[in-house]
Amino acid sequence: MRKKYRLSPYAKSFRFRLYLIFTGTIALLTAAFASFYVMTEIKGYRSNLEREGRLLATILSQNARLPLFAENRDALTLLAEGTARYPSVLAVSISNADGRFVVETGNSKERPGDAIEMVVEITSPGQLFSPESVLLGHVSVDEERVIGRVHLRLDTSGARERLIRLVAASLAIGTLFWILVSLLCYQILKRVTASFNMLMGGIEEIGSGNLSARVDLDGDDELGRAANAINAMAASLELRELENLSLQEELLKAMKLEVQEEKKRVMARLIHTNKMTSLGLLLSSMAHEINNPNASIRFSGHMIGKMWADVVPLLDGVWQEEGEFYLGGVPFQTARGALAENAAKIVENSERIARVVQGLRDYGVGGGSQLRQRLEINAAVSAALSVLACQMKRDVQLNTCLGTGIPVIAGSQQQIEQVLINLILNAMQAFADGRGEVTLSTRYDSAAAEVVVEVKDNGTGISAETMGRLFEPFYSTKLERGGSGLGLYISQFIVAEHGGRLQLSSVLGQGTLARVALPTAADPSMRSMVAAKDGQHPSDALHEVG
Amino acid sequence: MQLLRILFTGLLLLLAPLPALAYDVLVLQSMHEKGYDEAVTGFRRECRASMRKVVLSDYAEADVKRITREEHPRLIVAVGDRALEMAQKQSGTPVLYMMALQPRPSNGTTGVGMLLDPSRYLAVFDALGARRVGVLYDPALSGAYLKRAQAAASRGVTDLVLREVHAAKETPAMLQSLRGKVDAIWMLPDPTAVSPASTEAYFLFSQGEMVPVVTFADVYLSMGGAVALTIDRFDIGRQLGEMAQRVLDGTPMEAIPAEPPRRVVTKSNDGVVRRLKANLGTGGR
Repeated sequence: MRKKYRLSPYAKSFRFRLYLIFTGTIALLTAAFASFYVMTEIKGYRSNLEREGRLLATILSQNARLPLFAENRDALTLLAEGTARYPSVLAVSISNADGRFVVETGNSKERPGDAIEMVVEITSPGQLFSPESVLLGHVSVDEERVIGRVHLRLDTSGARERLIRLVAASLAIGTLFWILVSLLCYQILKRVTASFNMLMGGIEEIGSGNLSARVDLDGDDELGRAANAINAMAASLELRELENLSLQEELLKAMKLEVQEEKKRVMARLIHTNKMTSLGLLLSSMAHEINNPNASIRFSGHMIGKMWADVVPLLDGVWQEEGEFYLGGVPFQTARGALAENAAKIVENSERIARVVQGLRDYGVGGGSQLRQRLEINAAVSAALSVLACQMKRDVQLNTCLGTGIPVIAGSQQQIEQVLINLILNAMQAFADGRGEVTLSTRYDSAAAEVVVEVKDNGTGISAETMGRLFEPFYSTKLERGGSGLGLYISQFIVAEHGGRLQLSSVLGQGTLARVALPTAADPSMRSMVAAKDGQHPSDALHEVG
Repeated sequence: MQLLRILFTGLLLLLAPLPALAYDVLVLQSMHEKGYDEAVTGFRRECRASMRKVVLSDYAEADVKRITREEHPRLIVAVGDRALEMAQKQSGTPVLYMMALQPRPSNGTTGVGMLLDPSRYLAVFDALGARRVGVLYDPALSGAYLKRAQAAASRGVTDLVLREVHAAKETPAMLQSLRGKVDAIWMLPDPTAVSPASTEAYFLFSQGEMVPVVTFADVYLSMGGAVALTIDRFDIGRQLGEMAQRVLDGTPMEAIPAEPPRRVVTKSNDGVVRRLKANLGTGGR
């Protein structure tokens, strides 16, 4: 397994790295300067040596000019030995113009391969002429004549010793300098990076979650500004966190309130369900209690009708024979038709009671098979009006405006009649003084593909408070006048069962408009399915109150 | 091209009859030299006779005998040693010489030499206060002159300390032999004693021994010479012109002896003289 080397935290610190870079750079620079110094010194030493040697050789060549010309070997030897006494000179030799060495002197310390060879020419002055030329006035020219050469061999061992001394001195001074500068750098970096450390400490503390921590760094430099910025950021974060906490608390409170509201709604629904269950039981009981006498009434009606049909020929004979007579204070001819008609009405209304009761039972037990019947809205209106004919008040004017070309829709005509009867009755009871006008109209809204029935009155209108509770069961403003509080509740249920909607809009003091809109295209069963799918019970009010 | 022109001119001179070019003085000049030209200019200034100038260096081989035979000059003026030598090859025409360093005396030959009269130098040594004067010389070249000098010196207080040199390389050693024995050095225009290589030995000696060097040309003053007695080449020409005029006027050659230059130009290096603590009198002729 590969071992992973980890640097200690101090080695990874900015201060250490900076110190490393500084000391490394100083060491490199010191080494470079020391090398440059040593090289320059050695080069200069060598150059000085060569210059000294050339100077010695030049002096010797000048001094040896005459002795060489005079071939004075002793004088040349003396001169050469004098030059050879210089410490840097290893050997001196003088040769004439032919290259023959006249004098050669050596030094015992000579080491082969460690010397500088130097040759300087010995020249006679060129500006001198023979006496004839001088007397003839020749112009002198600088043309020197070589009469010999001085050969010098210089010792360079001093250069090597000097190199060693220089290297040693440079190393010592360079090391001392490096140590001093490194110590100085460390102190400077310590002061400089102290601010960084404070900044980093503050940032780490803030980063660990302590937003109330602050970087305690003063100054107008970049670090000071950074510290101020971080402090400001931490303060802002702290403020945001406090705000968040506050918002969370508010949210919790709101959620608690919402739960309580929901609880209230659930409780209301439970109460409503309980009410509906009770209502179903009541309706079943009522249906049973009503159906028995109603069956007797219908039977009686039938019997009366049949008996009257049998009696009429007999009474016609009597009338023809004896003339006019009265039945129950009514002339026979008037009573003859009215009795038959009343008997028929008894039967019809009895049947109607039976259907209503059946409808209530269906509602109570959840029946809905009648929705697949054909429904002609105008026929439903006429039927409703005929039912209400006996309850029509003299002071209330009923206007009907039935539209044409209204398509037949799927639905229960008896249930829609019940809705219309409820709405018309409500409209007729909306007048404070019992006088008013009720307008009933039907039409087809082709744009929305809906059959619309509107019942409008110019009564007192509905207050806003009442408007909000209109569709609650058992809520009624006419309980003292025999209201059950179930009319609109049942009506909106029926309309919803047909996939339509019941809308009530009212202006207080000006009247109320009730609008029933039933769709023509959609299948009501599908409507119910869609409503259930959307989380809405089919029995929920699909009404609008405006 | 230059050679062709010279050959063509020489051919004309040798072959063409020149009766119309009759003249009195034939000037034979060794070569084109500034010193020679100055002397000839001085000669022309004094001698108004008709003359023809022949520069020997312009010819491959000038036949002086033929020229004198055909052109009959009354006098030949030889300028320089070589010209004198050529002129002395003929015998019919008298020869006057100048600017010749080593004239060989013969019959029908006289002129102005280049060596100053020794008494001029001795006067300077007197003025410098030098009693012992060292002289290096080649007996073959300057022996006669030294004899005259010694004769002149014997008449005065100056004592000449002579050293003979037979080769130029002996000069430094001979000078060294004079160490402590002389008060001044007399530098002669002797090619053996004064060679280009050994010249500075005189001045090194002068510096070392603190003795002045009296020399024959002012060029040596810049090297350390104290006093220089120099000739005036133009005046030498004039001096010879007067001599030629006398010859042309009928004075026999034997009556006209050879003369040294009459005009001397004395120059001194004041710094050297001051340093050597020597007093120099006003120079001049």
